[in-house]
Amino acid sequence: MEVSHSVKERTIAENSLVILLQGLCGHITTVDLRDESTATGRITSVDAFMNVRLAEVSFTDRQGTVSQLDELFVTGRNIRYVHIPDEVDIRATIEQQLQAIHRVRYFGGRDKGRKEFPRAKYK
Amino acid sequence: MEEDEGPAGGAEQRHLRRRAGTERCPSPSRLDVSSSRFDPLLALYSASTPLPFPSAPCFNNLAEYESFQRGLLRPRGRRSAPSRRGPPASRSARRGPPAADPERIQRLRSLMVNAGHEQEAAEGGGTARRRRAPRNVLTRMPLHEGSPLGELHRCVRDGVRINVHIRTFKGLRGVCTGFLVAFDKFWNMALTDVDETYRKPVMGKAFYAEPQLSLTRLFNRLKLQDSSVKKGADSKTVSEELALTNDSQMLGSKAGSGRGRAEDERERQKRLGRAGEKKMPGDSSHLAARGEADVGSGTAHTEGASAGGTRTRSQSRRKRRPKVDYQQVFTRHINQIFIRGENVLLVHLAH
Repeated sequence: MEVSHSVKERTIAENSLVILLQGLCGHITTVDLRDESTATGRITSVDAFMNVRLAEVSFTDRQGTVSQLDELFVTGRNIRYVHIPDEVDIRATIEQQLQAIHRVRYFGGRDKGRKEFPRAKYK
Repeated sequence: MEEDEGPAGGAEQRHLRRRAGTERCPSPSRLDVSSSRFDPLLALYSASTPLPFPSAPCFNNLAEYESFQRGLLRPRGRRSAPSRRGPPASRSARRGPPAADPERIQRLRSLMVNAGHEQEAAEGGGTARRRRAPRNVLTRMPLHEGSPLGELHRCVRDGVRINVHIRTFKGLRGVCTGFLVAFDKFWNMALTDVDETYRKPVMGKAFYAEPQLSLTRLFNRLKLQDSSVKKGADSKTVSEELALTNDSQMLGSKAGSGRGRAEDERERQKRLGRAGEKKMPGDSSHLAARGEADVGSGTAHTEGASAGGTRTRSQSRRKRRPKVDYQQVFTRHINQIFIRGENVLLVHLAH
């Protein structure tokens, strides 16, 4: 449940389905890439641009050669599919991630802490 | 010292003497800031220095005073500040040049102090924030009413099975058919119960021949969509007929939807047509369900049953034809998948 430290990334993630992928951190999944290669490993982190870091990866390149990698970084644009594990409930994961962002945004109570959006408008 | 400072020294003496006489009653004019006999030293150390304006606001520095005068800062000090929402909000709300109009300042101040109080009392802390509806990916899904994305939302709501055509760098890669769970404005989609039928992109010499084929492939696809059953009778070679019958058996045994079967047949027909164009003799299109090791997708056991059956059939076929077919169409079942919107060609709603 690690929320990005950047406000910009948080809002991008909050308004797109990347937040579902961020909820998959720690799960072992397969990522199908744009060039028909696949990477199977544990998702370490996903940022707002869908860049994915995987650990303990079994990487099958497009020719079919399998290699074992300790870490793999995939650019967001190169992703085609992300297989979601069966035990993951999509709706619940999205809501959990949204709650985490909400907690971070309103940290410190109403009047303390840095505000991201104008709290109230006075004329 | 007393000799040096003439009048001041005299005043001091007088002050000391008076102090000795009457313990604690300096003349009020000494402590009055506005009087001519104001004695600052006395005022600093006296315990009873009267404040000229007791209800005056206190500021920490000149900048604060300036801000207050511009009407941006709520006065602090004696009057306990109910909340800090007033000044920060107004500061961010009005980013233009501040109005130094005293009336405006008064208006603002009254607004902040009184209205702030009332608002605080009327609403709780939570409702003040909830005035702004939460905007996140889930709340944005129903907002696209009237647009194609609104149709997608209808699929989420009504559980319509959709066919998502996936693109490769050039042209169509395949079709994913499943139930839509969530989507966003980039057409990223989360699907459930997915059957994917796809073909790896062709490389090598055939790659350069592809541009001629892409349009005709599309027309073939449309044509075959209308008459997939009729085309089934037009098989050219005996091996192709064998492949068809084998495939229909395999498809019958597969727990796939009727729609999925039509898709597979269409893919087969498409490749039959292409095989004719490429003039590859004796090349038969066959559908193979490959058991892919999808960790975490739970597909292994479902694939194993059908793959075992088809593999034997394909092996017997391969003995007769030593040439490997790179245009092999694959099918797999994935329970839950996320598709990046960039790869989506089109979405077709199945009724």
